[in-house]
Amino acid sequence: MFFIKELSHTILLHPSYFGPRMLQYLESKLYADVEGTCSGQFGYIIAVVSILDIGKGMVLSGSGQAEFITRYRAIVFKPFKGEVVDGVVNNVNKMGFFADVGPLTVFVSHQVRHSPLVSITSFRITNLFLGPSLLTASSPQIIEKNTKVRLKIVGTRVDATEIFAIGTIKEDHLGVID
Amino acid sequence: MSDVEDDFQQHSGGLDEEHEEEEEEEVEHPPKKDRRRYDDDEEDEDEEDEEDDEDEDEGVDRGRKRAKHRHRRNAVNRFLDVEAEVDEDEEEEEEEDEEFGRGFIDEVGGDADGEEDVVARRDHARLDRRQRELNDQDLAKIAADFSERARRTSVRYSGDMNEIPQRLLMPSVHDANLWQVRVKPGKERDLVFSLMRKAIDLEFSNRPLQILSAFQRDSLPGMIYVEARSAKQVNEACTGLVGIYPSRGIILVPIEEMASLLQIKKQDLTVTPGTWVRIRRGKYQGDLAQVMDITENGEEVGLKFIPRIDLNPRDDASADGKKRKKAGSTQASFSMRPPQRFFNFEEVVKVYGRKAVSKRNQQFVFQNDTYKNGFIEKDFRLTALQLDNVNPTLDEITQFTRGKDGTENEANVDLSIIAEASRKAAISVLQPGDHVEVFEGEQSGVHGTVHSIEQDVVTIQPVGVEFDGQRVQIPARSVRKRFKPGDHVKVMTGQNADETGLVVSVMESVVTFLSDMSMQEVSVFSKDLREAAEVGTGTNIVGNYELHDLVQLDLQTCGVIFKTERDSFRVLDQNGQVRLVQPHQISMRRDSSRAIATDSEGHELRIGDNVKEVDGESRKGRVLHTHQSFFAFLHNRDYPDNGGVFVTRARSLVSLAPKGNVMKLGSADLSKMDPSRSGGAGGGMVGSGMMGRGPRDRLIGMNVVVIKGPTKGYLGTIKDTNGPVARVELLTGNKVITIDKLKLHHKK
Repeated sequence: MFFIKELSHTILLHPSYFGPRMLQYLESKLYADVEGTCSGQFGYIIAVVSILDIGKGMVLSGSGQAEFITRYRAIVFKPFKGEVVDGVVNNVNKMGFFADVGPLTVFVSHQVRHSPLVSITSFRITNLFLGPSLLTASSPQIIEKNTKVRLKIVGTRVDATEIFAIGTIKEDHLGVID
Repeated sequence: MSDVEDDFQQHSGGLDEEHEEEEEEEVEHPPKKDRRRYDDDEEDEDEEDEEDDEDEDEGVDRGRKRAKHRHRRNAVNRFLDVEAEVDEDEEEEEEEDEEFGRGFIDEVGGDADGEEDVVARRDHARLDRRQRELNDQDLAKIAADFSERARRTSVRYSGDMNEIPQRLLMPSVHDANLWQVRVKPGKERDLVFSLMRKAIDLEFSNRPLQILSAFQRDSLPGMIYVEARSAKQVNEACTGLVGIYPSRGIILVPIEEMASLLQIKKQDLTVTPGTWVRIRRGKYQGDLAQVMDITENGEEVGLKFIPRIDLNPRDDASADGKKRKKAGSTQASFSMRPPQRFFNFEEVVKVYGRKAVSKRNQQFVFQNDTYKNGFIEKDFRLTALQLDNVNPTLDEITQFTRGKDGTENEANVDLSIIAEASRKAAISVLQPGDHVEVFEGEQSGVHGTVHSIEQDVVTIQPVGVEFDGQRVQIPARSVRKRFKPGDHVKVMTGQNADETGLVVSVMESVVTFLSDMSMQEVSVFSKDLREAAEVGTGTNIVGNYELHDLVQLDLQTCGVIFKTERDSFRVLDQNGQVRLVQPHQISMRRDSSRAIATDSEGHELRIGDNVKEVDGESRKGRVLHTHQSFFAFLHNRDYPDNGGVFVTRARSLVSLAPKGNVMKLGSADLSKMDPSRSGGAGGGMVGSGMMGRGPRDRLIGMNVVVIKGPTKGYLGTIKDTNGPVARVELLTGNKVITIDKLKLHHKK
């Protein structure tokens, strides 16, 4: 789920950058520093929307560097359990497939037992036949790399720098989307 | 007549002489009857004795006889358990009364023989006196006597019913002591038997063994225990026996430890055919085995397990020589034990020859072991087996059920067997707060959190509308931990211990999760799992490389592994770049334990030091490695980037802990460095070869003899000196030793 969130970031600026273009430098440094990162608490920081306050530079005694505590507003993406998201299949292996949902990687296991309509024999490494959903009830879906899928997140693992999720497509209206 | 008499007859029945006497008594019955009338008063007590010696004692002085009777009575009483038999006692009393009554009647109508009359009268006087005494006695006292007697017996009885208070049985200072004697390990039991035989042998000699008992415990190898009053007696008993070492000390066992030595640990051996065990020792150490049968005495069990046959015996010598050698070599090189493999007749024949294997209906015999269906079947002693904490893993069980041809016998590997076996263990792993579900019984399907656990009953707080805060008690064996897909779990025990991952699916008690580390699916029993927040390390070793190893990537770059993935590493190189490398891209691992680098203050930087940056971001960390005396790889868990590993310049670090002088004085002699103190020895002349090498010790090159120490008497040449010690090259063995100068003597 996406949120707009006010966050803060501390920038240490070397004295050589002190000067007329300092603000631009700070902005670009902020973008470079925070965009695309992930924190366990807020999720992925997708983009900085606006800078609220670049902060007052405090020169640190000893090193001469200036410390700016910058407040900014950013779009963050945090996956939740039960959330339905769309993604692109990145990798298929014998256990299931990995789908990219923006910066998030979701693993969908093929657990054939739940779906009596799928026979194990039709399973191959490169593509995976999964049980029919209501979307395409008639023919089996072929899932391979770059297939677009709609999936539901059933669990997340949140590390300090990474979020990983597992999902399922074995529910109504989930699966391959054309 | 009385019961006492009967008793006596029974007791004496074993002795033939007395028995015969009684036969005679039967004949002489009439006269006895007469006499009995006069002896009424003492009949109750002396009757039986009287009968005994009537024939011989006829006409002897009565006073003396009575005295004798008193004496004899005691002797007889030994055989009578009078006090124990309360009821008979009472009957006796009644009978006594009868006798008394009869006596009077008899007396009234009695015969009036002159001499006998006198005797009778005297007796009657005595009887009267006694009666009076009896009456005079305080009734309360009589009552007390009776109750006393009854009480005593009652105590005895309860005692007979195993109710003796334990503390009365405990040894005290008045009892004989227990002495621990060292013996040859493995000979304990034999020696105890030897002691017993020795005791029996010497029992009736003039010097019998004075020890009271001896025993050994299987759990305490190398010692036996002897009960005796003194250590001397133990020593005497032990002399002459081989394998017993009284010289190594006869140690007194403290009184409070005596009882625990004899305590038998309660162990319920629940070995039934079909149970899983592990083999404790030998080539199959740690291997899982299934019990097939048990001998009647319960000492040995027949096991079935996967053999480890060495299909690459080292020497290709002839068959018999090889066999013998192989037996030895497998024992010796235990680390090289062959892998578990089902017995394959063709393979074994190929390696060992057709003669080595014989076939008897469906079974193969090879090297004295029987093989059936690929499994080896062998008898083991119970002591060589591990019966508890077997915890067979899924892999092992599937291997077992797979059979020798490699195909799974039935697709449904019967997990219920192993689930059942592990169920008992599952009880112990439950903790309050665990999420469990009931899978059998009336409450099947209910799930909730564990509130408390008593023995094997768990109280759970069920989740659901219909249970409104009420708690349900369920036997622990019918609940199992409950996991949902998406839970983050950690494996607590077993092969996959410490692995963490996200649950993908749950099939009854088998949970499949996707490992965080390897991105592989892993199936484990739910009992081995716990919900966990942290991400497990899983395995930190890929190939030959481990987490935090310093590895050489190419000629110029070195890096530290900060993350291991399934088959690759994330490496932070010296320039701060992160690289994803495969094991084959790593040329070598570097050992920086001897690398030298100095920090900003010139102190030596060692691996493991806690340091801080003096410039830049002033990060703190522990030194993992130093590289080229310039780069230092630090580690600090507080930094989320790169697993807490970062690289910095060694010169910009300062130690967090104060450090002593780098120059460890140790044993090095500084005086050697000081030219003025080196005794003015002639240095090299200008232009000579020794120029610039400093003053040369005069002693160097001198022939010496060692006068002390283990090399005493050896000749040698001094090669170098350092303060008080010299390095001497011995003439023998071409060895250089370091030795104190004082132990050397100049040899011309």
